[in-house]
Amino acid sequence: MNNGLKANTILLTVILAAAGIAYAAEETLVGDNPDGSRATPLHLIPMLAEPLPDEEPNQIYPKDNPALPFSTKATCGACHTYNIVTTGWHFNAVDSNVPAGRIGQPWILADATAVTQIPLSYRPWPGTFRPEQIGLTPMKFLDNFGRQMPGGGIGEMIDKSDSPEETLRANITGNLEINCLACHNTSPGQDMGSAAGYAIQVIRRNYRWAAAASSEFAYVTGETAKLPESYDFREPFVSSDSKAKPPVVEYDRSAFGHNDWVRFDISVNILKQRCYFCHSNVDIHDGATEKWLADEDIHLHAGLTCVDCHRNGFMHNITRGYEGEPNDNNNVLAAHSSCEGCHLNSDANTPAAGRFTAPVPKHAGIPPVHFEKLSCTACHSGPWPKNELVRTMTAQAHGIGVTGTNAKKWKDILPHLVYPVFAKAQDGLITPHKLFWPAYWAAKDGNNITPFDMETVKAATGKVIKRAALSEVKSWPDLKEEDIAKILTGLAENVEGEAKPVYIAAGKLYSLDKAGKLVSAEDKIAAPFMWPIAHDVRPAAQSLGIRRCEDCHSKDSPFFFGNIALDGPVQGQKGNIEMISLQEVNRTFEKWFAWSFVFRPYLKIVTLVCCAVIAGVLLLYALKALYFVARIVVGRES
Amino acid sequence: MFRTIAITGFIATVVGVLLHFAVSKPKFDNVFGKDRPMKILDPLRICVFLMTLLFVEQKWNLVGALRKLVFLVALFCLVVLAITGFVPSVFYGVAIHGWWLFIHAIMAGVFAATMAALAVLWADSNRFDKNYLPWFNTILRRQPKSTLIPDEYELEIKICFWAIFVLMLPVILSAVVSMFKIFGTHGQVVLLDIHRYSTLFLTLLAIIYLYFAALNEMEKTAGR
Repeated sequence: MNNGLKANTILLTVILAAAGIAYAAEETLVGDNPDGSRATPLHLIPMLAEPLPDEEPNQIYPKDNPALPFSTKATCGACHTYNIVTTGWHFNAVDSNVPAGRIGQPWILADATAVTQIPLSYRPWPGTFRPEQIGLTPMKFLDNFGRQMPGGGIGEMIDKSDSPEETLRANITGNLEINCLACHNTSPGQDMGSAAGYAIQVIRRNYRWAAAASSEFAYVTGETAKLPESYDFREPFVSSDSKAKPPVVEYDRSAFGHNDWVRFDISVNILKQRCYFCHSNVDIHDGATEKWLADEDIHLHAGLTCVDCHRNGFMHNITRGYEGEPNDNNNVLAAHSSCEGCHLNSDANTPAAGRFTAPVPKHAGIPPVHFEKLSCTACHSGPWPKNELVRTMTAQAHGIGVTGTNAKKWKDILPHLVYPVFAKAQDGLITPHKLFWPAYWAAKDGNNITPFDMETVKAATGKVIKRAALSEVKSWPDLKEEDIAKILTGLAENVEGEAKPVYIAAGKLYSLDKAGKLVSAEDKIAAPFMWPIAHDVRPAAQSLGIRRCEDCHSKDSPFFFGNIALDGPVQGQKGNIEMISLQEVNRTFEKWFAWSFVFRPYLKIVTLVCCAVIAGVLLLYALKALYFVARIVVGRES
Repeated sequence: MFRTIAITGFIATVVGVLLHFAVSKPKFDNVFGKDRPMKILDPLRICVFLMTLLFVEQKWNLVGALRKLVFLVALFCLVVLAITGFVPSVFYGVAIHGWWLFIHAIMAGVFAATMAALAVLWADSNRFDKNYLPWFNTILRRQPKSTLIPDEYELEIKICFWAIFVLMLPVILSAVVSMFKIFGTHGQVVLLDIHRYSTLFLTLLAIIYLYFAALNEMEKTAGR
C-alpha cells in the first residue's frame, strides 16, 4: 500500500467514524462552523448509504449490487450535524415549538371529485387546517405535496405515523430525508422535476431514493408500491411477481473518482433555479402561461439571487424577509433582510441602507401616512392592479415544473388562485395577497368547524357527482344545490352530538335546516384565504403612485374597488366582493376621497394664487414700511 | 413633541387671555349699563356681546359688508380647520386622517381664498401709525404731525394681523408643495412639521387677535 492510499484510507476511516458519531450523537462537526473563507469548498467525499440501526454507514461503490441510494443524512451528515439542519424553516413546520411567523402560502388540497380546495399547514396559521384533520397521514401528505418539499420534517415521520400500515411501509419506502442537493447542488444536472427526478420519486413513494435520483450522477427506476413487506433494499430482490419492480439506482460510473469518492457540486450560493422549483409562480393571461411573457423580480435582474435576501447560517433559519420578522426568527439578519432593511434602515445605529447597492427611495410627493398604512409591497409587488384579478399558478399549489402534472395546459386547474388582492395583513398594513376561496365539507359545532377526512367526503360526493360531470381540466364540476343537500345528508351520519354537516364554498356556508332543506348564508368561516406576497417586485418606475395619486385614489381604482370574483362549484353562485371589503376601510369615505382628487389640481392652483396674493400684499406693505423708515432715517419724514 | 407643545401653547394662550381679561378690568358698567340687574349674568352678557360682533351692520356699504362677510367665512374656516387639524393630533395623538383630513382639505382651499381677500381688503386699515410708539418717537426726537389717537389695543391687533398673514405663507406653501413631486419622504416630514407648527402659532395668534379685537370693541362701546 503506497503512502497516498494509506492517507486516504485513514481519511475515509475518519469520515466514516465521524458519520457514525454524527448519527449517534450530537457533536460539533467540521462543517458546522465554517472558517469564513468565501471560497467554495470542494466536496469530494465518499457517498454513504443509510446504515442499519446502531451501525455506521457504509460507503457506496460503483460495483455494489444492489447499488444503494446514498443517504444525505449519512453523507452530508458526516461533516454537518443533520439534526441542526432539521431545525431550519424549510424543515421545522411539524415542530409545534417553532413560532408560526407571518402567514404564508399553505398547502392546498384541491380535489375536483370532492369539490374541495382547502388550506393545510402544520404551522398554526389562522384559517388553515392540520393535514391529519382531513385524514392525510404523513405518506398521503407526501403523495400530494412531497413533490415540491425539500424533505425532512413530515418526510421523516413516516415511520412514526399513526397509521400502522404506513409504519410498516416505512421499512420499504424509507423516510424522505432532507435533500440537501435540492437547494445546494449547483450542477445543471440536478433533476428535480423530470420523469425520473426527485418529485417523481416522491410521488412513487421511493423516499429513500429521491435525493439520489435528483443528483446528476444517479438514475432511479422502479417503485416501492407493489413491493412485499419482506423487501429489504440492501439485498438483491427476487420475486415471482413481474409487476413488483423495486427501485434501482444506477450511478454514472464516471462520477466515481479516486477511492470511489464523488464530487458534489455543492455551494452555499444557491442558484435561483433551485428555489424556483418549489417557489415558481406563473400568471395566466388569456390562457397563456409562457414564462417569457412575464418578467422576473427586479432584484434578480439587478444581479441578486434569492439567498442574498433570504439568508441563513448553518441553522438554516432562513429569513423570510417581512418587517417584524425578528419577533419570530432569531436569525441575526432578520431585521436587515426586509425591504426596509436594505432600502431604508434609518433606525439602525450603524447605517445599513444601500446593501447590494439598493437605491434609497425618494418617494417624492408621497405623504408619509402611506408608510403607516401600506406595506412596501403594496406599491411595488405583484402585477399592476386591474379591475379583474390575475389567475395564477404556483409550484406548490399546482405542481408546475413536475413532469406529468402537465399543469401548464390546464389553465382552469384547481386550486383557483388570484392576485393581487390588497387586504389588511396581520401587521395591520394593507398588503397585496394571493387569495382563494376555500371549499370543503365539515362538521360545524357552534363556532367550531372540523373538516371531514377526504375518504369520507369522497364516499359521499362519489354517490352524487358523476365522474362524467367532472371537467377534463380538473376545474369545478357543476354542483347543484340539490347535490349539496344530498351530500350533506350522506355526511350527516358521520357527525356526533350537536354538530351538523356543512359545506363551505365561495364565502357561503351551506347546511340543512331541521326540515332537511338546504339553507345558505354568508359566514366568516367561509371567508377567502389569503397570504401576503412579496414577489415579483416591479421596477420603481412601475410602482403604484408613480404617475399620479389617482393610481389608487380614483373612484374606479382597482386598488380599492377592484372586484374579487366569488369562486366555487355551486351552480349560479356568481358575484364579486370589492377589494375594499378586506381592507377595513370606510368605503363611503374612500369614494368621496377619490372624488376629491378630481378637484385637487384646482385646489393647488387656487391656494398657490392665494399664497401669491398674500405674499404680494405683505411685500407691498413691507416695502412701504421700509420706504417710510428710510425717509425717517434720512430726516425727510417727521 | 408636537402634541405637548400644542397643548402647552393652547393652555398658555387661554390662561394668558383670561389673566389679561382679569387684569385689564373692562368697563362692564359702561358697556352693559350701571344699573343692570343680576350681575352674575355678566358672562352671558359678554357672550351675547361677542355674538353681536359677528353681525353685519346695516349702515355699512357693500365693500364694508363684504369685508365683514369674508372675515366671517375665514373665521368659520379657521375654526373648522383648527378642530379637524388639532383634534386628531392633540386629543387622539394620531395623524390627521379619514374624514378629518377630507374636511380639512376642503376648508383649507376656502380659508386660503378668504385670507387672500382679507389681505387685500384689510391691509391698508391695518397699517402701523407713527403714534403707536411714543417712546420710540422720543428716542428719535421726532414730533409726529399725526394727531391720531390709537385705540387701546390697536397696536396688538395690528401686530397679530400681520403676523397671521406672515404665517399664512408657510401654512399654505407647506401644504401645497407637499402635493407636488418635489420633496421625498424626509422633505414631506419636514413640510408636515412646518405646516403643523406654523398652523399652531397662527391659531394661537388668531385667538389673541380675536380677543384683542373683542376687547377693543368693548372699549369702543363703553366709550360711546
